[in-house]
Amino acid sequence: MPDVNLIIDGQAVSVPAGTNLVDAARTVEVAIPVFCYHPKLKPVGMCRMCLVEVYTARIDPATRQVVMGPDGLPQLALMMNKLQPACVTPVSEGMVVKTTTEKVKFAQRGVLEFLLTSHPLDCPVCDKGGECPLQNLTMQWGPEVSRFDYSDKVHFEKPIKLSDVIYLDRERCILCSRCVRFQDDIAGDEVLGFDNRGRSWEIISKSEPGFDSKFSGNTTDICPVGALTNADFRFRSRVWEVRSTPSICTHCSVGCNLSLDARHNSLMRVMPRENDDVNEIWLCDKGRMGMRFVESATRVTTPLVRQHGKLVAASWDEALTRIASNLSQIAAKGNGQVAGMMSDSASNEDLYAFRKLITDTFQSTSLDHRPGAVTDVAIDEAIITAGVGMGTSLLSLGKGTAVVVLAADVEEEAPLYVLRLRGIKNRGGVVHVVNSFATKLGTSASSDTRIKAGSEAAYANAFLKLVLEAQVASGFDRRVRNLDDVRNQLSKLLLDTLLEHAGVSRAQLQKVVDAYMAASNAIIVYGRTALQIGASVTQTMANAAMATGKCGKANNGLIALTTGANTFGAVSLGVRPGKDGAAANEFWARAEAGTLRGLLVVGLNPAANNPAAVEGLQTIAKHGFLAVQTMFMNETAELADVVLPQMAIAETDGTITNAERRVQRFRIAMAAPAAMHPTWQVCAQIAERATVATPASKNATAVLSNWNYAVTSDVTDEVAQNNPRYAGVTYTSLDLSINSWGRQANESVYYDGTSYTNTEGNGVQLKTVADDAGAALTVVYSPPVEFEPKGEFGLLMQTPVRAYNGGTWSIDSKLGSRQVAAHVLISSADASRWNISAGDAITVASPIGSSTLPAQIDKNIAAGHVLMPDVAGAPVHLALGAYTRVAIRRAE
Amino acid sequence: MLGAFFKGLGTTFKYLFKKPVTVQYPEEKRQVHERFRGRHQLNRFENGMERCIGCSLCSAACPSDAILVIPAENNPTAPNSPGERFAARYEINMLRCIFCGYCEDACPTNAITLEHHYELSFYDRKSAIYDKTMLLVPIDKGHGDIPPVLTQMNRRPSPPAQIDL
Repeated sequence: MPDVNLIIDGQAVSVPAGTNLVDAARTVEVAIPVFCYHPKLKPVGMCRMCLVEVYTARIDPATRQVVMGPDGLPQLALMMNKLQPACVTPVSEGMVVKTTTEKVKFAQRGVLEFLLTSHPLDCPVCDKGGECPLQNLTMQWGPEVSRFDYSDKVHFEKPIKLSDVIYLDRERCILCSRCVRFQDDIAGDEVLGFDNRGRSWEIISKSEPGFDSKFSGNTTDICPVGALTNADFRFRSRVWEVRSTPSICTHCSVGCNLSLDARHNSLMRVMPRENDDVNEIWLCDKGRMGMRFVESATRVTTPLVRQHGKLVAASWDEALTRIASNLSQIAAKGNGQVAGMMSDSASNEDLYAFRKLITDTFQSTSLDHRPGAVTDVAIDEAIITAGVGMGTSLLSLGKGTAVVVLAADVEEEAPLYVLRLRGIKNRGGVVHVVNSFATKLGTSASSDTRIKAGSEAAYANAFLKLVLEAQVASGFDRRVRNLDDVRNQLSKLLLDTLLEHAGVSRAQLQKVVDAYMAASNAIIVYGRTALQIGASVTQTMANAAMATGKCGKANNGLIALTTGANTFGAVSLGVRPGKDGAAANEFWARAEAGTLRGLLVVGLNPAANNPAAVEGLQTIAKHGFLAVQTMFMNETAELADVVLPQMAIAETDGTITNAERRVQRFRIAMAAPAAMHPTWQVCAQIAERATVATPASKNATAVLSNWNYAVTSDVTDEVAQNNPRYAGVTYTSLDLSINSWGRQANESVYYDGTSYTNTEGNGVQLKTVADDAGAALTVVYSPPVEFEPKGEFGLLMQTPVRAYNGGTWSIDSKLGSRQVAAHVLISSADASRWNISAGDAITVASPIGSSTLPAQIDKNIAAGHVLMPDVAGAPVHLALGAYTRVAIRRAE
Repeated sequence: MLGAFFKGLGTTFKYLFKKPVTVQYPEEKRQVHERFRGRHQLNRFENGMERCIGCSLCSAACPSDAILVIPAENNPTAPNSPGERFAARYEINMLRCIFCGYCEDACPTNAITLEHHYELSFYDRKSAIYDKTMLLVPIDKGHGDIPPVLTQMNRRPSPPAQIDL
C-alpha cells in the first residue's frame, strides 16, 4: 500500500495507508493512551482514551476545494471540529496530529476520571496490580485526585466465576470489550457478551458451562484492568515477585512459546511469550493451566528397584548400574534383544542420546517413539519431504492463501492452530475443512465438507486426481520424479467411485481443488486420523503438493498435527524402528516369542489401556529386564524392574521441534523436587556403566569417549554436527530474537499484561527435502485404504483426540472439571435404531473385545459412525486402526 | 596539684546527688521516644480482623528485602482479613531489617507499624525470623473500623444472570 505522510507532534511520519493514528504515532515513539484498542484486535473506539486533535486541510463547502492559506499551503482545520479517537481514525495525507495540547490532556484526564468513578481501586489485592494498563495510564495521564466519594462508586459482588478458571470482578471492569472481541473475532467462541445498560452494564458468559472456550486464559492477558483474572494464579504472588523463564509448551505439536513464572522455586503461573511464527501472543488454556503436574506431590522422586517382588527406593548409582549390567547381558546375546521406547514429546537432546544408547551401546534397532498400541500412527515420511517450506509465517498470510484441513480436529489436536488458521481467513484467505465429523474449526471455515467415515483416503486420491488434471496445462514441477507411474495408477481409479465412496459431490471437491490451485500460498493440514490411516492420505496429499510445486517454498506445503510435541525430532533423530528393528506395537509379539528381553521405556505408558502390551511387558519383566523412566507411577512402571524419576520440562533444558519443524529452546525454570538427572545424562551414565563388547565397538573405552557431555548444549552441538537436518541449530542460533510488533520503549504503558516481549529467541526452522533447490521429489502412489463395515460389526468407530484428555498434564490442574469422561458418541439414527438415549450405558464390541461405557448422542454424526474419544479411561484398545468395525447394543 | 584533685572529686560529689542517667536494665526499661522505630507489629481492626491483606507492598518497598509475604484467598465464611485476600505467611527477618519504616509507609491498611519493642537479640539466625504469630497483636488489641474500600458499602445484589439472545 502507498505510504501516507503526516505530522504527529511535530514529527514527520510515513506509514502505509489504512494505518490508524495510534500505530502511526508509535512508530515515532509518541504514546497515545488506549484501553479498548489492541493491535491484535479490530479497533472499536469504545473507551475514548485515545482522543487527539486531528487537523486536516480545510475544504470550502461551496466549491469543495481545499482552501489555500496566504503561505500557499492548505489551511488546516480541526477534524469535525472535535477531538477524534486515534484508534479508529486512519491516517490521511497532510494530516497534522497533536497529542499533548491542553485540550487533549483535559479530555484524557476526564476520561480517566470517569473510568475511575466506577473502579474500586483495590489495587493492593488485585492480581493485575503491577502490570495494569489502568494503573499505568492513571499515573501518566490521569487526574491526581478523585472528586468522587468512595461510597458513590458502583459496587458489585466480588468476583463471580465465569468458569472454573476465569473470575470476573465486575466493579473493576471498564467495559472495553477486548475480551468479547477476542472471543468473537480471534477465538471464534462467541461465549462472552454484554448485559444490561448504564451503571449495570456488565460482561456475562453466554455459554453452559460458563466461558466455554479453550482460549479463555488469553482474555485475562488482554484485559486492561483486573476484571478478568485467572484462578490458576489467583493470589499466588504479586507479578513483580516472579522470575520468568522462557520455555516451550509440550502439550501438543504447536510448540507455543511461554514463560514459566516461578517464585521461591515454585511455579506461580504460565504466561505466553510472543513469537509471531508460532503462537503470536496467545496460549490455550491447556498450556496455561496444564503445568501444575510439575509440582505434584505424587511425582516419582527417587530411583526404585525391585527387591523380592517389590519396588523399593535405591540410590541412583545402584539403579543405573542395575540397568546397565542387565541390559548389557541381554544385548551381549546379540540379535537386538534390547529395545527402547521414548515419548515423542521429549527434547531433541534426550531423543538423540536415547537413540545413541540403544543403537550404539546396546546394538539394537528396535526403537520407537509410539506407545505400542495397534492404533499407533504410521511414521509420516511425507512431511519430511513436503512440509511447509523454510520461512513460513502463518501470520503473514491472508489474501491468496488456501488452507485445506483434512482429517483433523484442529481444536482438539493442536488448539492454537485454530487461532492461526482463523487469522488467515480473517485476513482474506480461504480455509477448507474436510473431516468425517463436525469440528469447531469447520464452523468458521470457508467450507466444511463432511465426508463419510473411513473415506479420507478416497477423498485424498480424488483430490490428487483433480489437482493433477488441473496442473497438466501449466506443467509439473521439474523436480518431480515417478509422476507417470502415479498418474497411471490414478487413472485406474474412477473419480465417480471415489466421490461416491467419500460421499461428496464433484462440485464440493472442485471448489476445494480450485482454491488450492489458485492460491499462491497453499497449505495442507492433516491430523491424527490421517496419520493413523497413513501414507494413503499423507503421501497422497504430499504428492499433490509436490506435483504442483506447492512445497519447498515459504508458506507452502504440509503441516501434520503430530501426536507429540517433538514427533519430527523423534523421527529425524532416529527414535524409530531401524533396519531389522521392530516397531513398538511389534515389541509385545517379540517378547512372547523370546526375541526381545530388555526394554527401556522413557516417558511413555504403553501398558495403559493395552492388554497386549501388559502381557508383553510382564513377559519382559519376568524373563528379561524392564526399566522405566517416568514422572509418575503408572501401569508400566508398576511392572518394571527399575524405575527412574524423570525431569519435567520446567526442570531441565533443551530444544524441541514443532509441527512446522521450528526448533525452539526451553530453559531451566526451577529445581527438580529431588536429585534427578535429565534423560540425556541418564543415558550417558548407563552407557558408561555398560560393558557390551560388540562387533561394532570391541572395547568399552570407545563407547565411553563418545559420551563426553558436560551440559545439554554439548548434545545439541553434536546433533547439529551429526544430523544434516539439524545443521546450524545451536543455542546461539536459537537465541536470536526478532520482534515483529513494532516495539517502542514505553509500550508497556498501554499493552502491559500482553507485552511478553520475546528476547530469548524465535527458534530456527529446519529445512525440508523440498527446500533444497536441486532435490528430486519422488511422488509415490498409495492406494486408498478402505474401511467397510460388514457382518455383525456394522458400524465404523473412530477414536478422535480430545484436548482435555485427562493425561499427565491434568494432574492438579484447575481444568479438572473440563476433562472429558470416557464415553461413546453415536448418531441419532443409530440411537433410535438401538433404542438408546443419552447417558445410557452401551456395550461397544469390536472384533477383539468389548467394553461398556456411557453413550452420548450427536445429531451431527452420520448413521453408522461411532466416535470414542481417546481420553483417560476410554477402552481405546478395542480399536484396530483409524477406523474399527464395531457393534453397539444397550448394556444389560 | 591538690587543687586539680579536689576539682575532679568535686564533679564526682556533684553527680552523687543528681538523678542517675543509666537505668538498671533489664530490671528497669528505658522509655523510648514516641517516634522510635523498633520491632514491627501487625495490627488488627477493632473487630479482631487482621489488617494485613497480603498485598506484598511492604515487601516491595523494603530496601533490604527482609519481608516475605505469601498471600492466599480468604475463606468467605471465616475470613482472616476483610476482603478476598490475606497473608497466609508473613515473615520479617530482623537481622536484615534496617528499621527504616518504608514498610509502614507502603502499607495501605496501616497493618504494619514499627513499635517500641527493641529487645531483639537471638541465639541463632533462624530465630531472627519473626513470623505472623509473633508479629500479630492479640485479638482484643485491635483498633479502628474497616474502611469502606474493604467492606464494600452499598454492595448491590448481583443482577440475575441473563442471556442476551
